[in-house]
Amino acid sequence: MSMESREIRSGISALDQALQRIRLGDNVVWQIDDLEDYKFFARPFAAQAIQDGFECVYLRFAEHSPILEATEGLDIIEVDPSPGFDYFSGEVHRIIAQKGLKCFYVFDNLSALVEEWATDELLANFFQVTCPFLFELDTVAYFGLTLGKHADSSVARIQDTTQLLINVYKVKGQRYFHPIKVWERYSSQMFLPHCISDDDMPPVSKSGDAAKVSVLARKNPLGGSPDLLAPWASVYRKLLQYEDEDEEVIRANPEIVSLKEELSHMILGYQPDFSRLASKYFRLRDLLFMRNRIIGSGRIGGKAAGMLLARRILKHDNDPTDFTQVLENHDSFYIGSDVFFTFLINNNLFRLRLELTQGSDITHSEFEDLEERFLEGTFPREIMDQFQRMLEYFGQAPIIVRSSSLLEDSFGNAFAGKYRSEFCINQGDPEQRMHAFLQAVKLVYASALNPDATSYRQKRGLADRDEQMALLVQRVSGMRYKNYFFPSMAGVAFSRNLYVWTDRIDPNKGIIRLVFGLGTRAVDRIGGDYPRMIAVSHPDLRPEVGAKVMKYSQREIDLLDLEKNQLCTRHVSEIIEDRDYPHLHMFVSLFENGYLSDPTSSFLDGNPDDYILTFNNLIRKTNMVDLIGKMVAKLEKAYQHPIDTEFTASFDESGNVRINLLQCRPLGVPGTEGHPFDIPKEIPHEDVLFRSNRIVCGGLVPKIHTIVYIDPVVFAALPMDQKKSLGRIVGKINAHPRFEDCKTIMMGPGRWGTSNIELGVNASYRDINNTSVLVEIAREEAGHMPDVSYGTHFFQDLVEAQIIYLPVYPDDAKTEFNEKFFMESPNILKDILPDDGVPDNLIRIIDIESASGGRLLQVVADPQSQKAVCYLE
Amino acid sequence: MPAQNAFEVTQKQLDECAEILKLDAGIHEMLRTPMREIHMQLPVRMDDGSIRVYQGYRVQYNHAKGPTKGGVRFHPDKGIETIRAQAALMTWKCALLDLPLGGAGGGVLCNPKEMTRGELERLSRAYVDKLGEVIGPHKDIPAPDVYTDPQIMAWMMDEYCKINQSSEFGVITGKPIAIGGSLGRTDANARGGMSAIREAAKICNLDLSNATVAVQGYGNAGYFAASLAANLFGCKVIAVCDTQGAILNRNGLDAEDVRRHKATEGSVAGFEDGETISSDELLELDVDILIPAALENVITEANADKIRAKIIAELSNGPTTPEADEILYNKGVHLIPDFLCNAGGVTVSYFEMVQNAYMYYWDREDVHERLDKKISTSYQAVLNTSTRFKINMREAAYVVSVLRVVEAMKSRGWV
Repeated sequence: MSMESREIRSGISALDQALQRIRLGDNVVWQIDDLEDYKFFARPFAAQAIQDGFECVYLRFAEHSPILEATEGLDIIEVDPSPGFDYFSGEVHRIIAQKGLKCFYVFDNLSALVEEWATDELLANFFQVTCPFLFELDTVAYFGLTLGKHADSSVARIQDTTQLLINVYKVKGQRYFHPIKVWERYSSQMFLPHCISDDDMPPVSKSGDAAKVSVLARKNPLGGSPDLLAPWASVYRKLLQYEDEDEEVIRANPEIVSLKEELSHMILGYQPDFSRLASKYFRLRDLLFMRNRIIGSGRIGGKAAGMLLARRILKHDNDPTDFTQVLENHDSFYIGSDVFFTFLINNNLFRLRLELTQGSDITHSEFEDLEERFLEGTFPREIMDQFQRMLEYFGQAPIIVRSSSLLEDSFGNAFAGKYRSEFCINQGDPEQRMHAFLQAVKLVYASALNPDATSYRQKRGLADRDEQMALLVQRVSGMRYKNYFFPSMAGVAFSRNLYVWTDRIDPNKGIIRLVFGLGTRAVDRIGGDYPRMIAVSHPDLRPEVGAKVMKYSQREIDLLDLEKNQLCTRHVSEIIEDRDYPHLHMFVSLFENGYLSDPTSSFLDGNPDDYILTFNNLIRKTNMVDLIGKMVAKLEKAYQHPIDTEFTASFDESGNVRINLLQCRPLGVPGTEGHPFDIPKEIPHEDVLFRSNRIVCGGLVPKIHTIVYIDPVVFAALPMDQKKSLGRIVGKINAHPRFEDCKTIMMGPGRWGTSNIELGVNASYRDINNTSVLVEIAREEAGHMPDVSYGTHFFQDLVEAQIIYLPVYPDDAKTEFNEKFFMESPNILKDILPDDGVPDNLIRIIDIESASGGRLLQVVADPQSQKAVCYLE
Repeated sequence: MPAQNAFEVTQKQLDECAEILKLDAGIHEMLRTPMREIHMQLPVRMDDGSIRVYQGYRVQYNHAKGPTKGGVRFHPDKGIETIRAQAALMTWKCALLDLPLGGAGGGVLCNPKEMTRGELERLSRAYVDKLGEVIGPHKDIPAPDVYTDPQIMAWMMDEYCKINQSSEFGVITGKPIAIGGSLGRTDANARGGMSAIREAAKICNLDLSNATVAVQGYGNAGYFAASLAANLFGCKVIAVCDTQGAILNRNGLDAEDVRRHKATEGSVAGFEDGETISSDELLELDVDILIPAALENVITEANADKIRAKIIAELSNGPTTPEADEILYNKGVHLIPDFLCNAGGVTVSYFEMVQNAYMYYWDREDVHERLDKKISTSYQAVLNTSTRFKINMREAAYVVSVLRVVEAMKSRGWV
């Protein structure tokens, strides 16, 4: 196409002349003092576009008066910026993509977005990500921007991105326009102020006139305006003067309260349940303390916010347990959520992310390539400077970079384990430490796009929700021992106990999964290695007796190897072989001569190979369990919702237990709220497919159409490689449209979601997310143990997705298990996976309706009685 | 037909033995039922202050050869029938080893998984309180069984000593070493099995240093069996299995390496120095010695014919069904029956009593030597009986036991 044919008319011929015509692909930013100035240019532009036969769209998102009035040929589309940057950018992209080539746009004044999003960084991000897309589609777009009210760095980014940047201002009642940038066009007078009159727009070429106009137009020609719009800076500045004010005085002053709320929203977000708690518990000085530790700008994300809130709640009241004496201090930093988008946009990753979160699929190997692209990305200088200062602050102390996305850990969406956390052992010279830290940050950023996370978002209807990745940078809890660094104890604690193996245990009193060393082993599901499960109501009870205690205990420890500068796993016996680890006698028991005994002093006898991590002395001789029990109870009371926490613990110099609370989030437990789920009393025996007597989460699932049954016997005989691939096959079945539409029960041998294929099907959440009930066929004498997966990320996914998880014990005398139905009903596997060569004796897919003469299944699970039944309706 | 309970099964075995021996009907009747049973209600104060009452039992089956001896189990489902069966089997086992002991069994209907340590201690002491007068080093000597361990034995012994104001450690066996437990107990079953295997190898003309072994089960007994077979005799253990799968290496597996793998991975499956086979294939391997060391009824009518081992050493209880017994006997497979093969444990329990009475404790080698002698002698007795009556080794073991008990009863003038 010739240059001539790319030129368009702006509706003001003098302007066309001054700018040597606007062209297809141009983005035109009008920096204005007054909205009327913007209207002055935008209205003729739209009218001309319509007259010339172009499609014309007015994107309306601001509160100000309309730039364009409705008229024939003008498409006015409203987009709400209040859900956040991510949502808004996505919507605008969708509109632009839908409108296609050579469409003309007028956007509202972009400065309005800053009022919604708080920071200039996001405004620049939006512009930087939208303009190139418009350019590619040969559109012409007008944007307004209030002059002198935005950070210079952000305006500079806008200027770099746009094709035309034109300042418009009035001096003594006379309107001028002053092109600052006109891409690939030049004339000797183009970049002078132009005086606007009715029929002409001559440049102000005389030096005296130009000086007079310019000096009056720009009070800060070199930048650094003190009068910025973005609340991120202005609200903070205003509140800073009240930092030392008494909290009661602050709460009595409506203006400060309002500013404080605004600051809280900028840092913590707007989620109503959370905001209510934040408003109640956070003091101004808490918020300012947070604000001072944010790198870049934006929010700190759900994980960081949950951690800070929980700590604040615990210290809030004077109750019998003084948590200020129990909680270790924290000195975390937060990488603001804006930094994530700046990173994506600067490294050409934004649109890819948009596509992936809105429905495109990505395989695990494609994701690995994507990770490489993230690792090649760079950060702006000012962020790098802040990173540098933070790393200097931590010195060589190990740190962990944890995802803390906006949706993560909020009410109803735990995103458990979807995003990464990366340890930085922080050894080596400053360059090496910086390199390792940057790698960690980029890997966590990349994890926002991992297939499990995108699937989770889509499944939960969160694909369009604002989701930015803030990061939490925490000091790793622990101490150096030999060449390693790790905490004495770490774990997860729940305010509700979902693992009730005897009716003596009170499910409302919580449970702890405790490990020696880093907590990674407590939150993930690791086959063959077990954390200690401690029921808060009966800490001394455990579901194993005798030698089985040894089998179901922790044998490996995760720790940071300071010499190798990496996270590693070691045998516990190797770490404690010198028997001088502080307080070791609180953690171990000795299994010798066929029985377990607990040390009576710190002088430990016996072979370290015979030490078993039982934590018996810790449980019996310290107040650790009591403290954690009180902690989760207090948090649940404040949240008015069951919660789960991650923590580390240690002994101080006086031998008292100190707790470091790392995370706290609300947890939805199916069946613990709302109506009881009563088990029907008189179901004919022949209609029962199975019963379970040891269930944890309740619910009612009617009208189940399909069973996917993995035969435990055939599974047991499978070669390793076939066992390994079974999770993916299940994933394919799960992805079949039938399972998206109809309710399904999946039944398989041993544990679902385990990484040890010998113990069960190695499915991930994504492989089973369309099922309604997941059944673990458990045979204790076949090496299976009443599962201790409860509390792991996989289990939390199930809980949140309201997938009922039932262990069924076919060998238990009280259990009914209609194996004949599963084995003899017609198998429709070949209809679902016709070409995959999966043996139909391994996976049986049963269409309930045809197998039962038109009936469907129902599952009722009652967590109070710990009973569940699956029967033909 | 309803399934037979455990005690009915032991009665049937006795009946078959009586048939072989043409045993006097009166004596047969005496041997079919326990001589004494005690049923107890055991109130225990729980940690929350409430009282829970547990049902306890002690069955003293036959004390013709001496004070009765047998385990105490804490289990929610094992009722009186199981305990009677246990007491009967202890009678025959002690007699087979020619120990100066009768047989007993006991237990409490409880679920230790649902009890705290303090509650278990109070229950253990309550059990002894109620039994007070009927147990003692010269009356009846309890020992550990299902879900009871040396700690529980220690509490029981302590309670007995308190009641009797004496330090009669021999009232209980299976105690911790520190309070009179015997060395050599941990691997006693497997070690006793090895003595029997060595004797059997002589009969079968098998050079153990070149023999191949498969071990079914890799718990305590299985691991020690594999380890001792290699270390004592130089056997090549080529296959082992557990509930998760089986591994095979025809050049031999290192028992210690496999144990370490199982400790870290939870199973022998996936051991890198072995190929994966099924547990069924393991039983049918072409090996010299097959050692079942895990579950009951693994050698059945269905697979007995496919067994290629020359010797089967039953380290676990009841791995072979009666139908399979017949098939194996006819095939000429040399079977060392369970209550001979796994009698090492009860023998060392007896040694513990002896040492407690003696107030002099043997070193480990002494225990091993005496155990070897006991098992070898008993093996010879069973073998001779099998040859003489042309009956299989299991039937022969019963015949030896019953004859010894009958002889004691007769000597005492009971019959």
